[in-house]
Amino acid sequence: MGEVNRRDFLSTLGVSVGTALSATAGAALPVVGVAHAQEKPKGNIPDTPFKIGHMTFFSGPAAVLGEPMYRGQLLASEEINAQGGLLGKRKIEVLKADENAGTDANVKELRRLKLSEKIDFFCGITSSGNTPALGPVAEELKLLTIFVDGCTDLLFDKAVPNPHYIFRVTNMQSADGVTAAVAAAQTWPKAKKIAHIHPDYSYGRNAFDHWTITFKKLMPQAENVSEGWPKLGTTDFSSHITKAIASKPDLLATSVWGGDYVAFYKQALRYGMFSKMKVASMIAFGVAPHAIGKDHPEGIIAGVHSNYHFTYPAGDRWPYNKTFVEKYNKRFNEYPNFQAEGGYTATYLLKSAIERANKLAGGWPEDDAIIAMLEGLMMAAPAGYVYIRPDNHQGYKDAVTGFSKNVAEYPFPVLDPDRIITIPIRNITAPPGWPKGEPTSTYTWIDKTWPKVKA
Amino acid sequence: MSVSPLALAARSPRRTLLYALPVIAVLLVLPWVADQYSTILLAYGLVMAIAALGFNLLLVYTGLLSFGHSAYFGVGAYAVAMMVKYLKVSSMELFVVGAIVASAAVSALFGFVCVRYTRIFFSILTLALSQVLWSLAFKFFWITGGTDGLRVPTPSLLGVTPGGDKIAFLARGYYYYVLVLFLACAAVMWVIVNSPFGKALQAIRDNETRASFVGVQIWRCRWVAFVVSGVFTGLAGALWVPLNGLTTPDILHWQFSGEIVFMTVLGGFRTFAGPIVGAVVFNYLKTYAVGYTVYWQLLLGVILVTLVLSLPTGIVGMVERLTERVRRRRATAS
Repeated sequence: MGEVNRRDFLSTLGVSVGTALSATAGAALPVVGVAHAQEKPKGNIPDTPFKIGHMTFFSGPAAVLGEPMYRGQLLASEEINAQGGLLGKRKIEVLKADENAGTDANVKELRRLKLSEKIDFFCGITSSGNTPALGPVAEELKLLTIFVDGCTDLLFDKAVPNPHYIFRVTNMQSADGVTAAVAAAQTWPKAKKIAHIHPDYSYGRNAFDHWTITFKKLMPQAENVSEGWPKLGTTDFSSHITKAIASKPDLLATSVWGGDYVAFYKQALRYGMFSKMKVASMIAFGVAPHAIGKDHPEGIIAGVHSNYHFTYPAGDRWPYNKTFVEKYNKRFNEYPNFQAEGGYTATYLLKSAIERANKLAGGWPEDDAIIAMLEGLMMAAPAGYVYIRPDNHQGYKDAVTGFSKNVAEYPFPVLDPDRIITIPIRNITAPPGWPKGEPTSTYTWIDKTWPKVKA
Repeated sequence: MSVSPLALAARSPRRTLLYALPVIAVLLVLPWVADQYSTILLAYGLVMAIAALGFNLLLVYTGLLSFGHSAYFGVGAYAVAMMVKYLKVSSMELFVVGAIVASAAVSALFGFVCVRYTRIFFSILTLALSQVLWSLAFKFFWITGGTDGLRVPTPSLLGVTPGGDKIAFLARGYYYYVLVLFLACAAVMWVIVNSPFGKALQAIRDNETRASFVGVQIWRCRWVAFVVSGVFTGLAGALWVPLNGLTTPDILHWQFSGEIVFMTVLGGFRTFAGPIVGAVVFNYLKTYAVGYTVYWQLLLGVILVTLVLSLPTGIVGMVERLTERVRRRRATAS
């Protein structure tokens, strides 16, 4: 592979930075119908409730990121129930379970939900430490599952390489590190010294690995000068912040998330960290939007787990999002995060698959029929189109990130509507059929197929 | 504090069997009566009962409160996971042997350091050493899998590789496997605490100076008790892994040691059967608390406080006190 120019290569990745186009007042835009028009279902449908077990963080610092996932699913379920339920007959009941009980207790709880509560469908999960534990258990239980997050590549690379019952809707984790790195390379191409602060578990290491391999290709002149690995759930980041400052970096990459990130940025402000270096985060704005204060610095790359921010796509360009945000705000008096969108979309994916299966065979479809319909399903959702790849049951949608900015409309910072960055997902994740790699398939795919740009 | 810890230990083997037989019969029949989920949950409880029995040998019979028993449980579990990952072993019998050897080695080493101290110093040392193991499992992720842990597939039992449904396997074959080992462990522990060695431990607990005058080798007895306790807990760890399907650093964390202490206090650590009852009940309690409320930590905390304040002798102690009271009332009535 010959050397290429950075700008040329970024344009082949399809990275676009553009305005999110807010709706022009008074413009006569056509009203696009997003009501899910329902055909009459075929055959006999039982009217027993359809039980969903939903596990996410309801306590601890991860709850500000995870709990909206439950709300998203609840909202979708209430909408579906208002129309009579799934296939017009089966009302959805959502049972809550706290992911904060620990991996081992979660395994027990998942078994209890299936064997004792007899749930029909399992959904949720925030932490990437939990899907590799629960995925195999869901397969053992033959329990139809859509994980909303817990997006570690490990789940479908290694833990369950040939999934049957389990799916996942939000973007794969590797996309997170790559998206942040591509955005940073495009924004600050002269950065040379990079500091890292990542939570000390698989997610943080995944973010670090994919940032580093992407920078090796896009920013060969850059080097990692400092690494900080705070424990997940820690409240004191001062030693990591001072260590990063002491290494005098041009740029800090961080994947600290949830309540941890809120504590982190407030402490970093006290040390004046944001004025000493540029900052690129994978998941700063992944939390429920109101969890971030107006004191948050502007102009940092404030990632949304490469998935979704409620301000994009804006206005009437994508009515699915407009109506979703309005309904969510009306129901819960807050704005959705990417997890809320994930929980909402997962519920509609399920609904769509059930309806398709019913159309073919009539009656309430078997799990295997629902699975066959989910495989390869592509659907319009609030965030855009989401596609479920049939080989690994993983959801794919175009990656999104942007820059933090305070605007008058919201009491918290949002992504700068004029500088939203989007990347087509197929350009930053390993394609179907790519051999399983170490540490991830996407890592080896980038390493082997991306050119190194001229320094 | 009305029940003397020696009162139960003095019971004759025949009388103990008389109490135990109906319980054993119920445990044997259960998988045919209860649903799969209850049976699996009970298997968890029995596994934890083995760990609690081991823990109690140190606490009540030797007078040493260990706050680091997660270490031996974790060593047992990780020994199994490592055997799967690096040696490609899949026989449960080899897992059990491997876990016993590994936990004996680690508890012999840790015990060597810890039993030189007693009271709070002993507790803190055991806690510190277990945290060392936790951080090793946490940090050396390329060996231990880090927070993702290591997966353990369905093992073969007595050379028979089970096929098909994992849930059916756990609720039948594996349940009986755990039950047999649990009964064996309970019997062995009963013999130990009623042996001259067990009496020596109790003598050390009651008065170290006098015990040494009678010729009891204090340091050695404590060390042996420590190793036995560690091996029981390690065996429990090995039996727990196939139930859970994977092992994570959580089971090496001091909070898990705290759960073992909680179980023992809940059941009543002054009796032989207390830790067994406590482990089984705690397992149900935590599972249902997590399942039914997001405030499960609060609920468990309130139970622990209530327990310490109003039922210091635990469930078994309370039942004994009640039966004693009924018996006395009957005696005065007649």
